[in-house]
Amino acid sequence: MAIEILFFGSLTDATTVGRLIVEDVTDTDQLKTYLMERYPALCSARYFVAVNQRMIQQTESLQPGDIVALMPPFSGG
Amino acid sequence: MKEHKVKNIFMEGPIPAQKIAEDIQKHATQTAIGAHSIFLGQVRADVKETGSVTAIAYTAYTEMALEKMHEIRESLFAKYPLTCMHVYHSLGAVLAGEICLYVFVSSPHRKAAIDACEELVEAIKFQLPIWGKEILNNQATAWKENK
Repeated sequence: MAIEILFFGSLTDATTVGRLIVEDVTDTDQLKTYLMERYPALCSARYFVAVNQRMIQQTESLQPGDIVALMPPFSGG
Repeated sequence: MKEHKVKNIFMEGPIPAQKIAEDIQKHATQTAIGAHSIFLGQVRADVKETGSVTAIAYTAYTEMALEKMHEIRESLFAKYPLTCMHVYHSLGAVLAGEICLYVFVSSPHRKAAIDACEELVEAIKFQLPIWGKEILNNQATAWKENK
């Protein structure tokens, strides 16, 4: 099951990519663990998680086609 | 499929001063308006230990930012008697001294225009997924933080 991951702001320094497709993850905790193994610099990063543009506070299950965004604190304006 | 109409707020590069004058002129036909409150955000040449800021390069999660902006807009229209509200935010590089955020709020009376404008600017800075990367004069970069 393919999940699209988006990285923004300073997180792209850690990942070097803005977008990633991940297979076989069933929830956001599992996804975070996978991403921290792949990009160790993410371990010390502060970020919010949004699933399909909705901010989440706790782990949520993921469905094929979901879009998960990892977003550091906002700094617009 | 979402039914509401989501307005774009993003502009590539700086917001030209000319646009602000033109927008004021455009509102001359709307004679129920008694007050415009305008906020302009300008890129500041902050001096840091590692160099001074020459520009900020903005990126955003545009789809989410526009949806969130729509919610903010609806809530402010519900809270204040506003005639109209226009928001523009830059994407890409904006040099120090140039305008990166332009907010224009109109109402029959000043209090609503001023209060809504202030609330809107705070919401934009803290609720919209937009990021600024400061470009320093020695080619180094630093991610901006909102205070």
